[in-house]
Amino acid sequence: MIQAILVFNNHGKPRLVRFYQRFPEEIQQQIVRETFHLVLKRDDNICNFLEGGSLIGGPDYKLIYRHYATLYFVFCVDSSESELGILDLIQVFVETLDKCFENVCELDLIFHMDKVHYILQEVVMGGMVLETNMNEIVAQIEAQNRLEKSEGGLSAAPARAVSAVKNINLPEIPRNINIGDLNIKVPNLSQFV
Amino acid sequence: MSDIVEKTLTALPGLFLQNQSVGGPAGVKTSFSSRLGGLVRGITALTSKHEEEKLIQQELSNLKATVSAPTTTLKIMKECMVRLIYCEMLGYDASFGYIHAIKLAQQGNLLEKRVGYLAVSLFLHENHELLLLLVNTVVKDLQSTNLVEVCMALTIVSQIFPREMIPAVLPLIEDKLQHSKEIIRRKAVLALYKFHLIAPNQVQHIHIKFRKALCDRDVGVMAASLHIYFRMIKENSSGYKDLTGSFVTILKQVVGGKLPVDFNYHSVPAPWLQIQLLRILGLLGKDDQRTSELMYDVLDESLRRAELNHNVTYAILFECVHTVYSIYPKSELLEKAAKCIGKFVLSPKINLKYLGLKALTYVIQQDPTLALQHQMTIIECLDHPDPIIKRETLELLYRITNAQNITVIVQKMLEYLHQSKEEYIIVNLVGKIAELAEKYAPDNAWFIQTMNAVFSVGGDVMHPDIPNNFMRLLAEGFDDETEDQQLRLYAVQSYLTLLDVENVFYPQKFLQVMSWVSEVH
Repeated sequence: MIQAILVFNNHGKPRLVRFYQRFPEEIQQQIVRETFHLVLKRDDNICNFLEGGSLIGGPDYKLIYRHYATLYFVFCVDSSESELGILDLIQVFVETLDKCFENVCELDLIFHMDKVHYILQEVVMGGMVLETNMNEIVAQIEAQNRLEKSEGGLSAAPARAVSAVKNINLPEIPRNINIGDLNIKVPNLSQFV
Repeated sequence: MSDIVEKTLTALPGLFLQNQSVGGPAGVKTSFSSRLGGLVRGITALTSKHEEEKLIQQELSNLKATVSAPTTTLKIMKECMVRLIYCEMLGYDASFGYIHAIKLAQQGNLLEKRVGYLAVSLFLHENHELLLLLVNTVVKDLQSTNLVEVCMALTIVSQIFPREMIPAVLPLIEDKLQHSKEIIRRKAVLALYKFHLIAPNQVQHIHIKFRKALCDRDVGVMAASLHIYFRMIKENSSGYKDLTGSFVTILKQVVGGKLPVDFNYHSVPAPWLQIQLLRILGLLGKDDQRTSELMYDVLDESLRRAELNHNVTYAILFECVHTVYSIYPKSELLEKAAKCIGKFVLSPKINLKYLGLKALTYVIQQDPTLALQHQMTIIECLDHPDPIIKRETLELLYRITNAQNITVIVQKMLEYLHQSKEEYIIVNLVGKIAELAEKYAPDNAWFIQTMNAVFSVGGDVMHPDIPNNFMRLLAEGFDDETEDQQLRLYAVQSYLTLLDVENVFYPQKFLQVMSWVSEVH
């Protein structure tokens, strides 16, 4: 079971915090800080598994993390999860974010934090892995996104009209009409005398 | 498309916005959707925690005014809610917003409802009194014809739901197990799993339905049911031995590539599913020859098939090896598994080395020769730059310590201890060293020296049993009276030497031990 999923940047600022086990608010903050310090000490070419630290439950729990550019993705799991499996799950999650946001970067996570949560909800539900196929996850999110388009209201009407017209397949009107060489056979008229 | 048409169409939205007053919906939308952006930009520009606090408190008081105002629309509430989530994530209290989150989920349209549910799942906890207000909304959404609403309700149920209200939603969720859409069935299974975790006796009667989920025509639903079965089998494996055949069949089909291509991950068929099944089989076959015999074929097949080099294949291999060693032993399988472990330990990839060591630790009781085979690598790992690898090696060595190698091993452990700052590591290691020292100490001098080192590092954080046992040992002694006297004498002498050293502080417990021993003897 997954106990918590944390995403923070190289300075320890939290970008996504989801706990699947109940912790009081101050403890949650402490866990984020402690995890950050544990993970910061790690160089880049050593293993991606760590003991969970004293706050997050003890020897049965592990931190599995991956470092992408300015962000750390940390999954805190118990012994029922496979370490390498979770490592690949993090990869799937990040690839899905990349697909949904088109070249995702830290700014996307900050400004669209709620969207990231919705994507995560399709991957992990209640601490259990729900879906591991990126295309399936994206399909669920698109179903929700279609709601957004249909709920745009009056202010979205012009934008919708524009995109609707842009998407019409109008035939290409040629700019230069090139008739090409015509070969008209002129009959051989007899001479006039 | 003609240029003119293009230009007209792009100008249209601008024309619309110009005609609307600031109070109109479009104007408000743009100014609010950039509010979160503004807040975040404001915070990033600050350098001190104090300034951040000020900014956030100001933001929170603005938000408080907005959410409490009767004229605030749900749309605005939605934008405010996202900012409240952001503030709470940074650790600031926004409890004034909790009730509004619930209202948003109750009254909002689909998008607003989604934010409301998200906020509730992040803000509240299972025993929160406000949570009861959400139950009616959940019940309503579970019965909705809109599938997205049903999904949202199932998600919130699996994340956070008051235990006393389970009976209110249980029949509705049970119903969803037969829904035509696969995703709904799958989420319903996980929601029921959550109920099983928090109130197992309430879901006793639907175990039959779990079996149906296991045989579901959709792989996703079957995979979800495995979470439940893993848990239930872990608690009581004997009740589910009859399902072994089913699990073996499913695994055979997966490994044999019978699943649709969608389920492949980097050309490996459904790896997470394989891992889950292997774990379940490991639990079922433990100490049970007849059940284990059913699995030997498929385990052999899995070991053979996992020949590719992707990360996730190693994950499957590791689980396979683990399962082979958990169940009733079969020599050919054990041989193959041992070879696998060897490859892991010798791998240059650090993650695999770590897992190889972990596997050796697990295997060591059953097959001590395996560790001997890889002695050189293990010794190299002791000096590995990665502290996690070092720790895992020490774990392994702890299990193969005997009277011959104890001095070397304990020395390495003490070295590691001196570098360690984390409390839980110190506690753990100190306990191990004390145990080993008591069991295998070659002579008195070494024993006392080691215990002194243990006390000075472990001091105040170690388990109280350690000094107690030590003092009892000195008090009761061994059979030989002169031997005991020598031991105590040596102890006292060593303490005097230590106390002579200037500018060194010893932990409280250590001083207590010293004074007790010196007084009594």
